[in-house]
Amino acid sequence: MHEISLIRTIFNTLEAEFSPAELERMAAIDLRVGRLSNVEPVLMQNAFRAVTTAEEKYQQVELNIEAVPVEIYCADCGVNSTIENYKFACAVCGRPNNNVVKGTELLIHRVRFGE
Amino acid sequence: MEKAQKSTRAARGTVTCDNTTMHLLKANDFVAESIRRKMAEQHILLINITSSAGSGKTTLLQETARRIGDKVNMKILVGDLETERDADRLRAVGADALQIVTGGICHLEAQMVWQAMENLGLDGVDLLIVENVGNLVCPASFDLGEDYRVTLIATTEGDDKPKKYPRMFLTSDLMLVSKVDLLPYLPFSVDAVVADARDINPNIGVLQVSSTQNTGIDEWCAWLLEKVQEKKAEALTPKTENHVFSHSR
Repeated sequence: MHEISLIRTIFNTLEAEFSPAELERMAAIDLRVGRLSNVEPVLMQNAFRAVTTAEEKYQQVELNIEAVPVEIYCADCGVNSTIENYKFACAVCGRPNNNVVKGTELLIHRVRFGE
Repeated sequence: MEKAQKSTRAARGTVTCDNTTMHLLKANDFVAESIRRKMAEQHILLINITSSAGSGKTTLLQETARRIGDKVNMKILVGDLETERDADRLRAVGADALQIVTGGICHLEAQMVWQAMENLGLDGVDLLIVENVGNLVCPASFDLGEDYRVTLIATTEGDDKPKKYPRMFLTSDLMLVSKVDLLPYLPFSVDAVVADARDINPNIGVLQVSSTQNTGIDEWCAWLLEKVQEKKAEALTPKTENHVFSHSR
């Protein structure tokens, strides 16, 4: 998708939340990226390095990306099913279902700071 | 956002983030909700039309304007990377259309629609159609505050597209199989494309259309007019549960 602009959004979001002194000690950013978010983890890593190098900031920061599989919730069976091959159906009863509860996220999940 | 160590003023160690404040498309979704509220207040039906480039969105809207242009007060916003060509084509059939030139951006964002709406003027409007940039990838992730998302898939594209671009079909309410007049000449199975789409989204509606041969256009226009009436009759509570993902796609 738009990895460079997403990286800038990450920095803007963090700069609004934390002070420059805190961000100087930032050691790692953990993202959660859903399989349905149309964001490719490898391209995010490349874009992250491109922006930190070009702008000479946050070069000490490690970017960790957790790819989140797609999950649906079936209210009849009360279970979550992981979706593979884009067949959206409950693994227990087999009924079609697109009640997606996981897999669309594009989130900063955790930020780690050094002392 | 919850800071793990509240005793010290400066963040140290691990800080676990709140899922809504740290959602990276939150700026878009915030504007999309504002659009949804405004449309609810004014009882305007907002339709977001998406597809690959060249699947017949503008031709369908030309035909739509010819058919129902005198029945409803309809306006059209049309997004492209460059040129006014689509808006010109729509104005040529009497539609009130405004071009959004994205200047290289491959999708429309809610903020662009909001600004264009202000230029277009919405007094007395019943139906606002947004023709998105031709692209099955990025427009899927950007909520524009629409009531319904309608995705075209042309018979010339091949019947294997829904599973290749799952998020678009997952978030669409209606799939229009377009250019069905070409079916006799193409290895395209309507049954296969519908089965594929419904594997992803069991609730997706399907219509078959040909804008040049007037196939299915009556059904499409009837669907639009029905939804316009529903929106008019709707109480003043913004409808946000139409989609699979109500706040973030």
